Amino acid sequence: MIFTKQMILLSLIFLPMVCGVIQYAAFRKQETARDICNIVITGVIFGMALFLIGKNNVWTYQSICGNGISFVIGGFRTILVLLTAGIWFVTTIFSKSYFAKANHKARYSLFLLLTEGATMGIFLANDFFTLFIFFEMMSFTSFVLVIQEQTEKAIQAAKTYLAVAVIGGLVTLMGLFLLYQKAGTLQMDLLQIFMAGQQKTTEYYIIGGLVFFGFAAKAGIVPLHIWLPSAYTEAPAPATTILSCILTKTGVVGAMAITANLFLHDRIWGYVMLCLGVVTMLWGGILAVFSINLKRTLACSSMSQIGFLMVGVGMQGLLGTHNALAATGTILHFLNHSFLKLVLFTVAGMIYLQTKELDLNRIKGYGRNNLFLKAVFLMALLGIGGIPLGNGYISKTLLHESIVEYIHLLQKTGQSAFWIQCVEWAFLFAGGFTLAYMTKLFVAVFVEKGTHIKKDTTTIGEKILLSICTLILPILGIFPHATQDRLAEMSVSFVSAHMPDHAVHYFAWVNVKGALISVVIGALVYGVLIRKCLMKKNENGETVYLDCFPVWLDLEKKVYRPLLLQVLPFIGALFARMCANLTDGIVALLRMLIFNVDNGKFIPKEDKYFSAYTDGEVDKTVYREGFARSLLMIGIGLAVAMLYILL
Amino acid sequence: MGAWITALPIAFPIVAGLCLLLVKFKDRKHRQMWVFPIITINAIFALFAMHSGMAESFTLVHFTHKLSLTLYIDGLSKVFGTMVSVLWVITTIYAFEYMTHEGREDQFFAFFTMTFGVVLGIAFSGNFLTMYLFYEFLTLVTLPLVMHAMDNKARHAGKVYILYMMFGAALAFIGFVFIYCYGTTVHFVLGGVLNPVLIAGHETKLQLVFFMAFLGFGVKAAIFPLYRWLPKASVAPTPVTALLHAVAVVKSGVFAIIRLTYYSFGTDFLRNSPVQSLMLLLTAITIVFGSTVALRTPHIKRRFAYSTVSNLSYILFGIALMTPAGLIAALLHMIYHAVLKITLFFTAGALLYKTHREYLYEVEGFGKYMPVTFACMTITGIGLVGIPPFAGFHSKWALATAAVECGNPMSYVGIFALILSALLTALYVFYILVRVYFPRNKTYPEGYYDHVEDPNGYMKYPMILLAIASVVLGFFPSLILEVLGNMVMPLA
Repeated sequence: MIFTKQMILLSLIFLPMVCGVIQYAAFRKQETARDICNIVITGVIFGMALFLIGKNNVWTYQSICGNGISFVIGGFRTILVLLTAGIWFVTTIFSKSYFAKANHKARYSLFLLLTEGATMGIFLANDFFTLFIFFEMMSFTSFVLVIQEQTEKAIQAAKTYLAVAVIGGLVTLMGLFLLYQKAGTLQMDLLQIFMAGQQKTTEYYIIGGLVFFGFAAKAGIVPLHIWLPSAYTEAPAPATTILSCILTKTGVVGAMAITANLFLHDRIWGYVMLCLGVVTMLWGGILAVFSINLKRTLACSSMSQIGFLMVGVGMQGLLGTHNALAATGTILHFLNHSFLKLVLFTVAGMIYLQTKELDLNRIKGYGRNNLFLKAVFLMALLGIGGIPLGNGYISKTLLHESIVEYIHLLQKTGQSAFWIQCVEWAFLFAGGFTLAYMTKLFVAVFVEKGTHIKKDTTTIGEKILLSICTLILPILGIFPHATQDRLAEMSVSFVSAHMPDHAVHYFAWVNVKGALISVVIGALVYGVLIRKCLMKKNENGETVYLDCFPVWLDLEKKVYRPLLLQVLPFIGALFARMCANLTDGIVALLRMLIFNVDNGKFIPKEDKYFSAYTDGEVDKTVYREGFARSLLMIGIGLAVAMLYILL
Repeated sequence: MGAWITALPIAFPIVAGLCLLLVKFKDRKHRQMWVFPIITINAIFALFAMHSGMAESFTLVHFTHKLSLTLYIDGLSKVFGTMVSVLWVITTIYAFEYMTHEGREDQFFAFFTMTFGVVLGIAFSGNFLTMYLFYEFLTLVTLPLVMHAMDNKARHAGKVYILYMMFGAALAFIGFVFIYCYGTTVHFVLGGVLNPVLIAGHETKLQLVFFMAFLGFGVKAAIFPLYRWLPKASVAPTPVTALLHAVAVVKSGVFAIIRLTYYSFGTDFLRNSPVQSLMLLLTAITIVFGSTVALRTPHIKRRFAYSTVSNLSYILFGIALMTPAGLIAALLHMIYHAVLKITLFFTAGALLYKTHREYLYEVEGFGKYMPVTFACMTITGIGLVGIPPFAGFHSKWALATAAVECGNPMSYVGIFALILSALLTALYVFYILVRVYFPRNKTYPEGYYDHVEDPNGYMKYPMILLAIASVVLGFFPSLILEVLGNMVMPLA
């Protein structure tokens, strides 16, 4: 058979790259042909990804790239590959109308396809080395997607993105390097065996932390989230969709792989992940509540949801072998969030396309009469808000239950569960924030009256596609046992966990209660904070959304940029200048000491014409030339000395 | 017969170069018809001599029983010689077009041809005296190339160049004298030639002498604080900066240090001595220093020159580890850096040639108009940063691995320097690329984009060829590693 599994796997990675270059070369000017070509390519790749369902294989190519690269397919990876291929396909279709009047379209298509190939490589990687190669590739190709619009703001955002990616990548590389020195391998399953045999794990926390750093940067975990809100906002909507649904998730996949392979059932590591998760979850929620920009709110929402995932990752470590709920919850929330953000960012893109605005005050009331978008958005709101029968409810319930389980576990053994109870409340609060900011968006765009009501130019085809994407959400939510449980069952081996012993009764009162608490919190946050403090009526009686997020909390502008662009360069420049003047400085110092006017000694005249030909240069190069001549003298002196030794 | 095969690739270009000085060519095409065959045929001679297995030791004169002028090809000669021969042909093609705007091409190509022979002389030297001779000769023969423009800047650069080189050679010569006195022979033997009976009791003195000789050869390898000539010499025509100041001359310094360390004093004598720590420290400082200054330099060619300063010390760092793994890593980086940096200089030269823009802030948005040039710059730039799977990653990985295994505590400082420098490299490379590809959406003065276009085939194809080569070498480092592994086998 010509189409072996191996060829399919390789073409998933390299076909998009090769086709990307070909279509770039072939259709630079023919836009329609290029659009069709891209849709066909991504469609074919999606079809090929379907072929790999149910396959389990490993392929290793030893001779390439020094350390050899290795791919594996099966379980969670298959789902990720399908998800990637599917979302790319959908996004490419929506890109067609989004970029109808834009510049640099050829470049965008090229890098979109390159990024797809690299992302496939990340998800199929069998060892951390392969993963890292494709991770770096993806960072750089996606940089072009972020900078696409080339406005001042977009360039700024993209530069921050690149800086975070480069620094993160290097720190991860250092970690991987140290890990390789210790373990002699970077293959995931072998590392798991290796770590199981280690008695002392202290130094591995540092190594693991270094490896984790780059992934955390990509995932937008506090305090490395600085790039995320602005990059999401400034990138074109289809690119943002991909960033949110897939690219940011590669960081989470990395974190999951580290936790499952290096620190399986490790409590300390679990605590660290949990803390990062809680902070990210809450901070993302707060940022989103304060934001008055449609895409920015959704971006901060992504950050918050990644916090939820990290809470799940942390709970996996804490619960040890009983981590089935946490593991399934993490994986399902991972997938649910991707489905949800696909819909949400696509809607945001459609709104932007019609209004050219993202500010809530400008797009207020845009969708009041647009029943279709209203329904789609509402579905996504129910899903992400964790309302029963929405898809997010299932995964959030699982995550919540895992926290509750750990509280029980602690209480049973007589330990204090205070901090974990705090985590539970933080979890419920973050759920409340989710509902609050989504309601804010929904009310602003689809309920309130506004002046900018324009004709909708969305085509029927796009509407059908969006409907299909949206329909997935309630199906997943209403039939969790038939859909979500199956997905989880396929995937849990990725995080080295098992399915729960009993099927979870998602709609039992205990579980619904948690969701209801979140709803109450959400209602309070929306009713009190947003409506009373973040909105006011202007003189015409219209409501205005206020941007009252304190400026001094901007971590990027207040801490990172000054530190990286002023403090460290200053120190570096000082060091470099001192080094550069070291040799000349000694000469200068000696001159001052020996030929001092005060002690009446003869001051030799500078040889102005030694190596300078213009008067302008003479003054600047006095010491330098003095030094050069001194070198010559030293050379002669040494030669004489040596001759003396010899003779 | 076999002996003459060894001598021919050295003698032929020197003689041919001298003849080129005397001949006055009618026009450009006429000259190219002579120069190109000379270089190509000589490259073929050299490759044949190195890889046919027919070459034998060649001795021109015997001064004493110990001193002679001897040529001999061993594994290290092959690595260096092959690299130089291949790149020389490619650079010649590039230079044909580039030199049209520099003028006085007769003189340029004459010295350029002679230098080829001299560099091969260094590669093929069988003993310390021969290498020292060619090493000095290299300084003299490249001086006209550095001062080619003959304006104030170029003459100034030339003088600084020769002063630094003379200082370095004086120090290196001391090393030679001590090898003569304390060694069993002055021929190169992997593992060192010091006579254990003679050196007993003089270890400290010899280590000091070694360090002086290391600094002496280090002048050509631009080690801190003796690097100043290199950025100044970037006023030379681009083919010179690309080939000589990124490959041939600077790597002759590196090559000589390898001969000094591994083939003369011997690593067993030097390992774990204070001198080794000092070498590691000095190279670590140079690595960070070069990258830092490169980041601050807006002049593109000078920025790459400072990058060379930094990268040469990567190689020296590998050498200073004094292990077989360190030597392999150093040579791997030497080859990768040669291919990458020569391409980067070629692209900077193409920019200079077509647009006369030299500074970073003058090239905003050029990526669209010079697609090939900047594609090559991107590929090799990414390689220089060391992003896997491009070239540069493997050598840095190998260097770091060797450093961990080396055991000297100072090598950890070096690893830290490598990581820090990788970050700085990323910054100074991407700073250019972002400017070039993503201009701010604003209007530029009239004529900003005039003449901004890819150069013609003479300059374009060498760049493309080298960029592709860098990618291939990056994907298959095993091609080189096998050869290098065999070479250092006796050490392990």
